[in-house]
Amino acid sequence: MSQQTLATKVNVTRQTIIAIEKDKYSPSLEVAFKISNIFGEPLENVFNYE
Amino acid sequence: MDFSFKEKSVIVSLVVTLLIFGWYFYRVFFNLALTANEALSVSDLIGIITLIVILEIVIHAFVAIREKSPVENERDKLIELVSCRNGYWTLCVGIWFLFIHLIIEGSATWFNLYHNLIFMSPSYLAHLLLLFFVLAEVVFFVTQIYYYRKGTQVV
Repeated sequence: MSQQTLATKVNVTRQTIIAIEKDKYSPSLEVAFKISNIFGEPLENVFNYE
Repeated sequence: MDFSFKEKSVIVSLVVTLLIFGWYFYRVFFNLALTANEALSVSDLIGIITLIVILEIVIHAFVAIREKSPVENERDKLIELVSCRNGYWTLCVGIWFLFIHLIIEGSATWFNLYHNLIFMSPSYLAHLLLLFFVLAEVVFFVTQIYYYRKGTQVV
């Protein structure tokens, strides 16, 4: 899945997806749940806190 | 580098503000005698604000046409809020500076009449107030660009 496709599905910009990937931005719970739902994975499999 | 529409918009606003108000303040503060004798020209100010509005509309329209998804999301809002706080503190410092300046200069009117004629004139004080307002705007824009580049984990 491309960054743009994911961004469109979550309703954020592609730059926000890039920032999340690069650990430059922590998304809200709403966006985090949307992303994990799109991938069909539990939240803890997609995001982890270090 | 990959810029979102919002980030491009902030850069455009910063450049327009710096260019136009930079030219305006250069003209005002490097000609103090003129400032002392002339009241803050309302027509000058209206002209500058109109120019800024026209430039911002034209450039933003040009940027928006080329942009695929000019949407604002939660990251943009967070960055805007944090930068707004920085701009607010800059404005506070400016207001306090002006306040202290007024008290100190105002209490020494007997000391140097010519000095006070320039530095206590309503026009000079109005320009100083405008300068701090513009500085707060510049800080608002610059910190937004900083957070877009460095990330909001530093907030």
